[in-house]
Amino acid sequence: MLSMFKSIPTHMDYKGQKLAEQIFQGIILVSAAIGFIYGLIVQQFGWTVYIMLAGFTVSCLLTLPPWPMYRKSPLNWQPALPETPAETREKPQENQKKKKHK
Amino acid sequence: MNTVLSRANSLFAFSLSVMAALTFGCFITTAFKDRSVPVDIHVSKVMIKNVDDFTGPRERSDLGFVTFDLFANLQPIFDWNVKELFLYLTAEYSTKSNTLNQVVLWDKIVLRGDNTKLNLKDVKSKYFFFDDGNGLRANKNITLTLSWNVVPNAGILPLVMGSGHKSLAFPETYETAKSY
Repeated sequence: MLSMFKSIPTHMDYKGQKLAEQIFQGIILVSAAIGFIYGLIVQQFGWTVYIMLAGFTVSCLLTLPPWPMYRKSPLNWQPALPETPAETREKPQENQKKKKHK
Repeated sequence: MNTVLSRANSLFAFSLSVMAALTFGCFITTAFKDRSVPVDIHVSKVMIKNVDDFTGPRERSDLGFVTFDLFANLQPIFDWNVKELFLYLTAEYSTKSNTLNQVVLWDKIVLRGDNTKLNLKDVKSKYFFFDDGNGLRANKNITLTLSWNVVPNAGILPLVMGSGHKSLAFPETYETAKSY
């Protein structure tokens, strides 16, 4: 049971993070514009605040949980190189010998 | 690092900034609006007494009694930035010792959503109309003015004077009867 919860992915990739930020900024600005216009029409500033709070709530539901749509562009890592055993070469001893001729 | 808490922090900070901008927008759309409306004041009874005054430095002062009617339509004042009006009726006059005397006779708080058509008849003064001496007797130029303090959601709290005053004169003899 606990392992099933741990297997739920909670990350966002980089494009997902940008998408989340764009989504909540867009929703907040749109609800602000709608609230301002509607409050100006009915001459009640309370309606502006209520519409802004509704936009805030929708933004929280859409962007705070890590929904799967924020994990659609994973990074393409390079393939891992195979581990080859490094052979140490034995240098021939003949080249090291220096014969001195008298 | 992008966690739920950092996203909540960004979302909340951005919403708060947008809310502040909206409040400023609400203020700026109503900042230059004229909040004066015509007021009709009618005085039906004026009386003056000379009574013991325990609130001032002298022993006896003039006490005025004014019964008035008040008509005003305050609905144009209430826009989306106004949530309350504090109305007060003042009497202004000049005496030998003071060139400007102002006495508040009556006030009323009108909240948003209340009845904004003011239609009051035969209203007595809510507060004492005391002069600090004997400046009311035979004073021929007492001006009644209705003013209000506009309480907004955001911005400046203006004091507005209604257009429409009422001048009245006090009699030369003091009233000695007990009843009013």
